Amino acid sequence: MNCSDCSEKLDSYLDRELSNTEMLELQLHLEGCPPCADNYEFQASMKRLVKVCCEQDKAPAAFREKLRQILS
Amino acid sequence: MAESPAQTAFAEEALSHLDTLYRGALRLTRDPDSAQDLVQEAYLRALRYQHSYQQGTNMKAWLFAIMRNLFWDRFKGSRKEDVSLDDVGEFVLYDKLRDEGAKPEADVLDKLAASEVVAAVEQLPPLHREVVLLVDVEGFSYKDAAQTLGVPIGTVMSRLHRARQQLQKSLYDYAVESGIVRANGTKEVPQQ
Repeated sequence: MNCSDCSEKLDSYLDRELSNTEMLELQLHLEGCPPCADNYEFQASMKRLVKVCCEQDKAPAAFREKLRQILS
Repeated sequence: MAESPAQTAFAEEALSHLDTLYRGALRLTRDPDSAQDLVQEAYLRALRYQHSYQQGTNMKAWLFAIMRNLFWDRFKGSRKEDVSLDDVGEFVLYDKLRDEGAKPEADVLDKLAASEVVAAVEQLPPLHREVVLLVDVEGFSYKDAAQTLGVPIGTVMSRLHRARQQLQKSLYDYAVESGIVRANGTKEVPQQ
């Protein structure tokens, strides 16, 4: 695998959507290629940042109770 | 009228996914009141059509699909209203920051305000926003996201890729505007 292949598959690797073989191939490339490894770490940080920031909102307690009443 | 144990179990499981639905509705409508209206409507519809839910399948995905379909039907009107993403080309924030000498690149992310990250997500066109919500925020697999959205997996992947690039472009613009990084410079500006 070269850096171009790695870049092409990075989204799927990040999302754990590759086959076991492909995951291993990409992992081996990252272990031997510091620039690609740095890029991967950055993309993983981006993904975590979006998740953490967008996960902060929770349904208000009063709304949850209202729905509970509606559903019962 | 007393509810049956099956209905109680259905309601309990459905409510266990409320935060996911509410967050999704909030990001789609960008308004707390509209989000509550949308989620309530989705739960009412789910209750009405609970017979069509197959036990043991992904209820979170089923509920989210009901909610986003309602969003498109009632809040957005025609699906054709969705605007396309600006063509940002192959924008990779990591490369941009590296080229401008802002190292370590991940430190820049730590300086971004959570509200700006949420704002960048909300600026995405809805068709792209919902893919980010499902995959990046709620952890859906590509397959579950594709089933929820009623599109092929390849469409999920391409929308996700473009949405992530647009997100990175928006956050880069914010970082430049707020002095976190200096465009075309070689130094990172210390945060105040």
